[in-house]
Amino acid sequence: MVSSDEQPLVHDIRLSTVGPGRVTGQDVVHEPTNMDQAMKLHYLRGVYYFKSQAVQGLTTPNIKEPIFTWLNNFYHTCGRFRRAESGRPYIKCNDCGVRFIEAQCVKTLDEWLELEKDDGSLRRMLVSNQVVGPELFFSPLVLLQITWFKCGGMSMGLSWAHVLGDAFSAADFMNSLGQVMAGLKLAQPLKLAQSHISAKISPSPPKSKDPLSVKRVGPVGDHWIAANNSKMKAFSFNLTSTQISHFHTKVCGQIGTNQIPFFECLCAVIWKVVAKIRDGPEPKMVTITKNDPHGRKNGVLSNGQLISIVKADFSIMEANPKELAELVLNQAMDERSTIVEAMERDQGLSDFIVYGANLTFVDLEEADFYGLKLKAQKPAYVGYTIDGVGDNGVVLLLPGPNNGGKVVTLIMPEDQVLKLKFELKKEFSIA
Amino acid sequence: MPQNLPNFSHSVRLKYVKLGYQYLVNHIITFLLIPIMAGIVIEVLRLGPEEILGIVRSVHLDIVHVLCSSFLVIFIATVYFMSKPRSIYLVDYACYKPPVTCRVPFATFMEHSRMNLKDSPKSVDFQMRILERSGLGEETCLPPAIHYIPPNPTMEAARGEAELVIFSAIDALMKKTGVKPKDIDILIVNCSLFSPTPSLTAMVVNKYKLRSNIKSFNLSGMGCSAGLISIDLARDLLQVQPNSHAIVVSTEIITPNYYQGQERAMLLPNCLFRMGGAAILLSNKRRDRNRAKYKLTHVVRTHKGADDKAYKCVFEEEDAQGKVGIRLDKDLMFIAGEALKSNITTMGPLVLPASEQLLFLFTLIRRKIFNPKGKPYIPDFKQAFEHFCIHAGGRAVIDELQKNLQLSAEHVEASRMTLHRFGNTSSSSLWYELNYIEAKGRMKKGDRVWQIAFGSGFKCNSAVWKCNRTIKTPSDGPWQDCIDRYPVHIPEIVKL
Repeated sequence: MVSSDEQPLVHDIRLSTVGPGRVTGQDVVHEPTNMDQAMKLHYLRGVYYFKSQAVQGLTTPNIKEPIFTWLNNFYHTCGRFRRAESGRPYIKCNDCGVRFIEAQCVKTLDEWLELEKDDGSLRRMLVSNQVVGPELFFSPLVLLQITWFKCGGMSMGLSWAHVLGDAFSAADFMNSLGQVMAGLKLAQPLKLAQSHISAKISPSPPKSKDPLSVKRVGPVGDHWIAANNSKMKAFSFNLTSTQISHFHTKVCGQIGTNQIPFFECLCAVIWKVVAKIRDGPEPKMVTITKNDPHGRKNGVLSNGQLISIVKADFSIMEANPKELAELVLNQAMDERSTIVEAMERDQGLSDFIVYGANLTFVDLEEADFYGLKLKAQKPAYVGYTIDGVGDNGVVLLLPGPNNGGKVVTLIMPEDQVLKLKFELKKEFSIA
Repeated sequence: MPQNLPNFSHSVRLKYVKLGYQYLVNHIITFLLIPIMAGIVIEVLRLGPEEILGIVRSVHLDIVHVLCSSFLVIFIATVYFMSKPRSIYLVDYACYKPPVTCRVPFATFMEHSRMNLKDSPKSVDFQMRILERSGLGEETCLPPAIHYIPPNPTMEAARGEAELVIFSAIDALMKKTGVKPKDIDILIVNCSLFSPTPSLTAMVVNKYKLRSNIKSFNLSGMGCSAGLISIDLARDLLQVQPNSHAIVVSTEIITPNYYQGQERAMLLPNCLFRMGGAAILLSNKRRDRNRAKYKLTHVVRTHKGADDKAYKCVFEEEDAQGKVGIRLDKDLMFIAGEALKSNITTMGPLVLPASEQLLFLFTLIRRKIFNPKGKPYIPDFKQAFEHFCIHAGGRAVIDELQKNLQLSAEHVEASRMTLHRFGNTSSSSLWYELNYIEAKGRMKKGDRVWQIAFGSGFKCNSAVWKCNRTIKTPSDGPWQDCIDRYPVHIPEIVKL
């Protein structure tokens, strides 16, 4: 994207690699679990924006140096994928490192955020779009981009292969960088948990049918991105706490006992909107992903989030939002064991997409995105999106920068975006 | 089984014969003196004290004779002491330890190669094969400018690397020895491939505010053996200038010399050369005699540049695309072997014990007269030296020298481990190796060390040091945090 002058908005891009300071050793491998393999075609792209006060006096070398210490704890994120003889991918922890991108921006942070309001796709310039493959040997799993704004502000863009862990793990990963930069020692054990089948999922009798929340694609071979039928576009809008409580009351009635949480209400309303604007049959199933606090060991990166499916046997467009919300809250069926099962049957060789196989709602309210503190200051704003999303789209609910506020991000086929924006503005009374 | 026993006892007998021969020849003077002394003592005892006094009086010594004789003796003694070369002491030295942020694991190096050489996968494969067999480890370091894709070798970055390496080494040296900037009389910096104006020597003079009458020299273009050339130069200067300190800084600045093309013969240095540097304090002051670590006994320099093939075997030139790189010839090892033979032919008589020299002489005569096709006798240098520091130019160089000089694995351990931990740091690698031996606690008073370096030209230079005092395991230095992990077994081929 070139501005009216010769210089592009984001310029002076330099690539390098940073790895763990300590030698991991020969022949150390990390084996992703079946659940990890199921998520391998997805990528998280997060951008953390910092005002100049938070990064005053920091230079790029000041950021690079602690990364070497930080990555000692996460050496498997610095490895590269190989395939075992069976074809099953595993990570060789060879200290190859994370890709480090440095860039400069001609605008100030505030100017940039204004520009983003009009064109959300600008954010793509602050984070890498790379996916794993086609050469597994040479594909980094994590890419970090540091962009310096004219005012001295900075953005940190994290490109994260979902096979390493869910968004909650990615948030913990980034937060520990802040801790290392502040000179704190990380509490995590240095030896990561060895490969394990998630203990919380109870073994179920072998089912021959596939889980409903995933879609088989491919085979994609070594290029880990699924093709879409339509081009996907992301847009987001911020909600203040007033708008939230207003909306909440509107959908779920008076604030009081037995209240349905905001996320489920949001799901219900957006489900209805999508059903309304989409051509063809309305979506009768949605996938819900949420944090599973029991499934996460402190400091261990994993794909432990809850993935469940909600099926409606009534018309969505005519349904009462409150009823729909109750359905989402109470009738969601945990599909994780089925997914793990299906992957196990194929010995980890299948290619699935989870986000976007059905209309997917991702609850990231509990992700500690604002826990990445530089000079004890949290980011001014954090935005996350997902790449590799299927044609049915994804809705993300993220925490907002201020107490009570939230951010809703939608990744939908391009041709539906305008209609969605129109409808959602009505629902949320956004100016 | 029975055949092995006679062989074994045969070799044991041979060993004892050899030991006996060596002991006899090396101490021949003692063996000759003992019967003479015994004879004199017996004669004296036989004669009795009065007879001895009679003999002495009969010499008719008077005061003039006594004075003249004593003047003669004093005169000869003075001439002897004046013409004796000054002793040159190595007070201490410091090696640069690159920070962990400069670390380049194999995988990162290969990935960057792949991204930089997008259009020549064959060259990438070649580099992978070299790296697998190189003998380097996963902790070697490249300067920050080379970590970028593509590398970013500006002059500013090169100066930055030079300042980082040289100043760190000199700071460490000054801290260790307590020498002050105003005490430095001679400064020599050698860096083969980076020669800015003003020179690196001037850079050091500027940083440390050295004296205006300092004798400074900057040696460039002299290859990996330039470290010993600098030591030789310092020695010569210290002969002429009494009561002086000399600092020698040996380094190689990688930033401007990273080859960015695809020619295979020129990609080899990229795989082997790594960041490093050393600063050495030499002195001819009498008061440093006790605290110095080593005394310099010999320096032997051999230059094979008169031979065209030797001259061209390490050659910096532009490739077909105009990118500058250093081409290494295929017969590099052969030329190195020849240069080594020349060097040890000169070195041998200086350091070998009489037993080995006699053996060499006899076998030489036998070959010349009786058997021209016989194998030349390789003198056993293990008798002349306790420690060997072979320039860690590459695994092949160390293997070749180990074979030629018939050294054991322990003798070349310092070289192999330095190559593994630090890579080929060019002229400073000898100092990392010496530090390894000290860090292992193997350096005792009286031990002799042989440093051998090869360099473009083609040159083979050696220096011989004698350990002045038993050296305690250093608590600082580049090996301090990893010496316990060494020695490591370095596989023939590392699977990447």
